[in-house]
Amino acid sequence: MDTFLQQLINGLTVGSLYALVALGYTMVYGVMKLINFAHGDLVAFSAYVGLTIFTQFYGSSALSLVNIVIVFSLTAIVVAFVGVLLERLAYRPLRTAPRLSAVVSALGASLVIQNGIMLIWGPNMEIFPADVFPSTSWNFGGVIISFTQLVILALSAVLMVSLYIFINKTKMGTAIRATAIDQDAAKLMGINVNRIIMIIFIVGSMLGAIGGLFIGMYYRGLTFDMGWLYGLNAFIAAIIGGIGSIPGAMLGGLLLGLFNAMISGYISTEWAETFTFILLIVILIVKPTGLLGEKTAEKV
Amino acid sequence: MNKTTGIATLFIVVMAVFPFIVDSAWLSIGITFLVFAVVAFSQDIILGRAGIFNMGHAIFFGMGAYTTAILNVHFGLEIIATIPFAIIIPAIFSILLAGPIIHLRGDYLLVATIGFNIIFEQVLSNDVFGLTGGPNGIFGIDVVRIFGYELFSDTAIYYLAFGLLVLTLLIIRNLDTSAYGRALYYIHKDEIAAKSMGINVSYYKLFAFALGAAIAGAAGSVFAIQYSAVSPESFNFMQSVMFFAIVLVGGSASLPGIIIGTFVMFVLPELFTEFKESRYLIFGAAMVLTMILRPNGVWPAKFGNIPKFLKEKALKARKSEGSK
Amino acid sequence: MEYVLEIENVSKFFHGLVAIDDLTIKVKPGQIYGIIGPNGAGKTTLFNCVTGIYTPEEGSIKYKGEDITGMEPHKIAQRGVLRTFQNIRLFKEMSVAENIIAGTHTKSKQKWYHSIVHTSAYRVDEKKHWEKVEELMDFFGLTKYANTPAGDLSYGNQRKIEMARALAANPEILILDEPAAGLNENETIELTNIILKIKEMGLGIMMIEHDMEMVMKLTDYITVINFGKEISQGEPSFVQSDPRVIEAYIGTDDEEDE
Repeated sequence: MDTFLQQLINGLTVGSLYALVALGYTMVYGVMKLINFAHGDLVAFSAYVGLTIFTQFYGSSALSLVNIVIVFSLTAIVVAFVGVLLERLAYRPLRTAPRLSAVVSALGASLVIQNGIMLIWGPNMEIFPADVFPSTSWNFGGVIISFTQLVILALSAVLMVSLYIFINKTKMGTAIRATAIDQDAAKLMGINVNRIIMIIFIVGSMLGAIGGLFIGMYYRGLTFDMGWLYGLNAFIAAIIGGIGSIPGAMLGGLLLGLFNAMISGYISTEWAETFTFILLIVILIVKPTGLLGEKTAEKV
Repeated sequence: MNKTTGIATLFIVVMAVFPFIVDSAWLSIGITFLVFAVVAFSQDIILGRAGIFNMGHAIFFGMGAYTTAILNVHFGLEIIATIPFAIIIPAIFSILLAGPIIHLRGDYLLVATIGFNIIFEQVLSNDVFGLTGGPNGIFGIDVVRIFGYELFSDTAIYYLAFGLLVLTLLIIRNLDTSAYGRALYYIHKDEIAAKSMGINVSYYKLFAFALGAAIAGAAGSVFAIQYSAVSPESFNFMQSVMFFAIVLVGGSASLPGIIIGTFVMFVLPELFTEFKESRYLIFGAAMVLTMILRPNGVWPAKFGNIPKFLKEKALKARKSEGSK
Repeated sequence: MEYVLEIENVSKFFHGLVAIDDLTIKVKPGQIYGIIGPNGAGKTTLFNCVTGIYTPEEGSIKYKGEDITGMEPHKIAQRGVLRTFQNIRLFKEMSVAENIIAGTHTKSKQKWYHSIVHTSAYRVDEKKHWEKVEELMDFFGLTKYANTPAGDLSYGNQRKIEMARALAANPEILILDEPAAGLNENETIELTNIILKIKEMGLGIMMIEHDMEMVMKLTDYITVINFGKEISQGEPSFVQSDPRVIEAYIGTDDEEDE
């Protein structure tokens, strides 16, 4: 029972991280029907940026809450900026091009960011400081939960709820949903689609940035190519939940985190990736639109 | 002779005499170029012609290579004897893997193929059944022996690869002028119209997979022969991404396009080893730029595979109309 | 055979929206059967059910006595039911000839290995079908465009290509979805004559059309549909003066006063 609860905590933590990243994928896909392959690399980039800000300005001693907020905000802004740049340079010129061309462009952008990271920070592994948050942890009858985990769970929950409110209860959110359903109709309704897309990239990148910082703090080892695989897993989470659906990405992320934790805990860590992908393929065969996704019909 | 045939012939002639005009370092690059060109052409059948978003093509390339390696090193089969297996086993697997996902929408199928690729990598790296050799792969692949002659020189292996390429080009030309080949285009351009013409779309998509996998498997075999060893990292999903990009950057279903694409992706980096570090970054930027400037590829395909007599009739009809 | 196509009590729903409701239509061999009705009446949905793109929730569709309800589109086409589309679905980058030969695909005897090796069986098959393409291009006056990309031609010519492609399959019944849509007067006259010639070949034709002149001239029998339901059926002269039909298209006197 202890192991189960422990895996539950770990799984939800990891799942929250997946969810934050998955949201970026799902929002872009929902509106542009494009798999933003570069998103994962952007998340990795955030971890590196965060690391640099921490070490340059603060050394590696524990920080006050204000400073942590500053670092998070700065990172989020920088990454959001790069995200918008990415959209402008690699995706916008291809809005009317065949879909596959945009896919190749996304792959190319991914390579650029990945190798950009390598050129700036080098090919070796970088270590994230251990004590950004106090290293305290609590023990509830054998189940350990660390301060960092708690922060991740709490902040992710707040962010997800905020995003949900934003998408469903604000005018901007409605505009985003409209654009996701039908871009042309949205344009005719006076919605500035370019602006909506920019906002999506900003929000998605910021969430991804926070996810990236947490990933840095949680796993601590950073490599320039970690974004690819992590991003892929997050994308799978988005598919499981229902690609294009924001609650779907949240649900998918959490479920994937739990699934991963259970597999690693009870079966093996070597084959963990394989199980994730088998899960993906099963979902694609049985219910490709995901748990919360909807089928769209094509007019013949 | 139309343009494509002309280019193909020129290409074949140049590659035929290639070993005689370059040194050994370049010969090795030449072999790699030929092998990867074959894989790219085989991916073109699936992605370029049938329009299936296959981003796991390295699997079939790898299966061919590993089949040769395993049968030779673990079971002592002569290399020549492993080649038919290296062709058939990937073909069979392609049908098994693609079968359950073939009806999926493009993007979903794409992610599924990535998934298969990653599972494949893990199977290779985890030394399954003690056969696949783990992260270091399999060493000590034998030399090719035909009628007692040993092909161990680079030149001999070059011509083996060259032969495979010529065979591949012939197959593709035959494919393009056959009912099955046309069916692939129809499916790519408009699936609903194709179905309404009586074309069983799933069947032909699987055919494309099987043919592409078979050819890639053969290339894998030659790859294994060239290096006398195989390892998992040659068949990871980054490789699949490369093959995917070659077809689209070069030009779907375009012979010159595929050749250019392969050259840019695999040969050009060898020329710029000084830039080895920024190599992939430049690649990535080139991919983005190419898609923006030429969304249909550097050298897009042209259609018009119709018999001469019809072309001539058309010309005559137009001329007689013009003179009225 | 009394009827080549029997649509019986067919209904199609989309998540609670009734697209077609209890339709019964029976087409005789060699007959030109018209389906008319205001826009959105469900006519194309009906055609999609017949050609297998949709599966009706209720009712049955029989072709030459065989139940084809819910059968996959390619299987229905292989049996001889070919169609054209309202929005023209051609392979635009391919040449006219390559488009037309697509129709011969079901009749082709080529096997998978013929794509790799060209045997004499392959050559015979190819020759036979390219000659059929030649024949059709001559019939439709498209010979000079054999090597031209289909997308480069005028709308009227594109319609012809689509019809040629369908005819290349030697169908027994041709399903035409608004063949005259987007055509000018001359093109429409040309099309009418072509359809008459096709009728002479013995094919059955089921046709959705809005061009009333064409409908009156060509069809032997008509069903009028509105809101997915049949509101009238009969010979053209009957349907033309049926008050229920007039009401569907123009509205009743009360509406006109507003």
